[in-house]
Amino acid sequence: MSEPAPIVLIIDDEIQIRRFLRTGFELNGFVVHEAGTGAEAIRTATLRPIDLVILDLGLPDMDGSEVVEKIRSWSSVPLIVLSVRSSEAEKVKLLERGADDYVVKPFGMAELLARVRVALRRQMRAMSGEPIVKIGPLTIDLSARAVLLNEVRLTLTPKEYRLLQILAQHAGNVVTHQHLLKEVWGSIHVQDTHYLRIFVRKLRQKIEANPNSPRILVTELGVGYRLAQPASEAENNAWNVAEAPGAKGE
Amino acid sequence: MRILHQILREWRNVGLALLLVGAMTVGMIGLVREAALAHGSVLYLLPVLIAAIRWGLVAALAAAIAGGTASAFFFYPPLYSFVIKDPQEILDLTLFIFVAVVTSKLAAKLKLQFDIAQKREADMRDLYAFSRRLAVSFGVSDIHAAIEDHLTSVMQRKVVLFASTQDSSDTATHSSDTAVPERVRSEVAQVAAGRRDPANGMPVIDGDGDIWLVRAVSPKKSEFGVIAVNLGPDSQAGLDDFRLRVDTVLADATATLERLDVAHAISEARMRSETDQLREALIGSVSHELRTPLASILGAASVLMSAPALAGEKNLRALVNDVRNEAERLNDDIQNLLDATRISSDGIKPHTEWADPADIVNSAIERCRRRFGDRRLSLDVPGELPLVYVDSVLVEQALVQIFDNAAKYSPAGSRIGITARARESSIVLAVSDEGTGLSNGDKTRIWERFFRGGQHAATTSGSGLGLWIATAFVAANGGKISAKSDGIGYGTTLSIELPVAQAALAQMEGEADE
Repeated sequence: MSEPAPIVLIIDDEIQIRRFLRTGFELNGFVVHEAGTGAEAIRTATLRPIDLVILDLGLPDMDGSEVVEKIRSWSSVPLIVLSVRSSEAEKVKLLERGADDYVVKPFGMAELLARVRVALRRQMRAMSGEPIVKIGPLTIDLSARAVLLNEVRLTLTPKEYRLLQILAQHAGNVVTHQHLLKEVWGSIHVQDTHYLRIFVRKLRQKIEANPNSPRILVTELGVGYRLAQPASEAENNAWNVAEAPGAKGE
Repeated sequence: MRILHQILREWRNVGLALLLVGAMTVGMIGLVREAALAHGSVLYLLPVLIAAIRWGLVAALAAAIAGGTASAFFFYPPLYSFVIKDPQEILDLTLFIFVAVVTSKLAAKLKLQFDIAQKREADMRDLYAFSRRLAVSFGVSDIHAAIEDHLTSVMQRKVVLFASTQDSSDTATHSSDTAVPERVRSEVAQVAAGRRDPANGMPVIDGDGDIWLVRAVSPKKSEFGVIAVNLGPDSQAGLDDFRLRVDTVLADATATLERLDVAHAISEARMRSETDQLREALIGSVSHELRTPLASILGAASVLMSAPALAGEKNLRALVNDVRNEAERLNDDIQNLLDATRISSDGIKPHTEWADPADIVNSAIERCRRRFGDRRLSLDVPGELPLVYVDSVLVEQALVQIFDNAAKYSPAGSRIGITARARESSIVLAVSDEGTGLSNGDKTRIWERFFRGGQHAATTSGSGLGLWIATAFVAANGGKISAKSDGIGYGTTLSIELPVAQAALAQMEGEADE
């Protein structure tokens, strides 16, 4: 990265976790700030410029969703939550409050860094107003409302396009069922998950090389969907040789 | 109060009986004119019998006397005088009165027995309903609600039960939502604290002028709680009478409660909830205490793995890799223990939603990729599978357990087949391996907790929890798991069958397009 080193704020009450996160981030060229409590985190986030927040749930002084809400009240900084498995409802709640993504504990540094890069890229794209999202062979031009697969323009129904559009705006990050249902079908349909399932199937038929093993539009069970945005341009170009992104690897 | 009420009722009955006799007289006068009927006195047996059956002995006797008198007056010569001349007719009338008295006595006795039988039946029904409700009551509050309803139905008055708490003597917890005036509450607290004579209820008048009677349900067993009965705005005079009735009902109720061993049930329910709380706390702390260090270990290992300082150190990297793999295994074991505790402590509450079976399969494969190693996956999942209404995360975890088994008990480089098939009213996800296989005895026992097949225990370590957890998770979603194997050495196929509601699906296809 040629830009100045991104600054990450790590909010975690466990010193051992803060320590490995600090080492891992510093090895990858980040500047690290730490906070052990919610109050300290909010103080740091208001006083210093922050490019990214990593928030572990279960802080001693504050509910995780409260921290998310407080930070979101003045900042759109990318925010990634560390959570435990089998708490899908909690993840959904935090995503709805404004968290960008989550990583399930225990996790490896590579997994977290992949999520972090995606979130930073999304933030950069949002600030520059870049209208084009590329995922492997798929190109979504948000300003021209065009979707191309291997340079060939696809015909999508208005609802299919709307679904893909919302996912592309959050490319790489998970988008909850509720959010998608509300944006595409309206708020009275937020419980009608089957609409989504049927439309995602139709969309996969059009954009995936193998709709039964999707690699672009992937499911996050019990939470939502994400467009599998590769973490970097180089990775994107290597799409066809690489393993599926998001796989647990080194 | 009660006696007065009874006298009033008796008078009403007598009046009704006399009315009946009067009506009969009018009818008979008509009959005598039309059909020249003589000696109508026998017909008066009719109102006597009716009065005896409907209104009891006193009314029947009144009807008999009235009937006799009316006969003498209207039908025996000289007419319209109470004097009877013919000795034969005097005998007739005497006989009538005798028969009337005897039959009314018999009929009244019959009525009494009938009433008693009916009341007994109603009591039995109440009691049966009560005991049945107790049998399905799990918590202390359920039992108290049952006692409260039972007393309300027996006393025909609003009854509020306060469960006495054992530890703090001055607070009594309220078992229902009904509003109870503050003055009554403080009296309840006094009674619960044992500062009142337990055998003698204190009347309390609330702000609206209603009288409440506050009493311990049982003078001996405080765990049955304290009741407050709303007597309504009755006069003080009726209070003693009602207090007696409450005493009787409470004595009965206490006997019932003791017979049904409610005290035991209450203490057991209390203990159960304490054990549950303890277990919850234990799971919570184990989960946190064991997994937080693991998250640190795994995270630190992953950082070391990518550290430039270790880039050329093949041996050191192998060590770090071991740390990570073993920590991951430990994490899986802890997760299994937590899942198992969750299943056996409070059952599983699935969060159901419409899900695509293919998504569940893909997600499970993704999670097991490292575990599969170099085993060849062959995936056969058709694109147009019906949706299923399940907790997709639970089904995925069940599938992960099955994948884990397949990977554990099959040789490196062998094939693992994953198929999904739609049947008439279900979909079947099947996982087959080329591994150890199952003996006939194993097939039925693999679903047991902690069971491990002889061959399996010999080759690989494991807790024997995996398939038990998978079965519970699938069952929580209305599905079932089955196993097939051609014997030891011939591989195993494990299948998950999930129900599908076809009608709902056909309807859904249309809806989403609008």
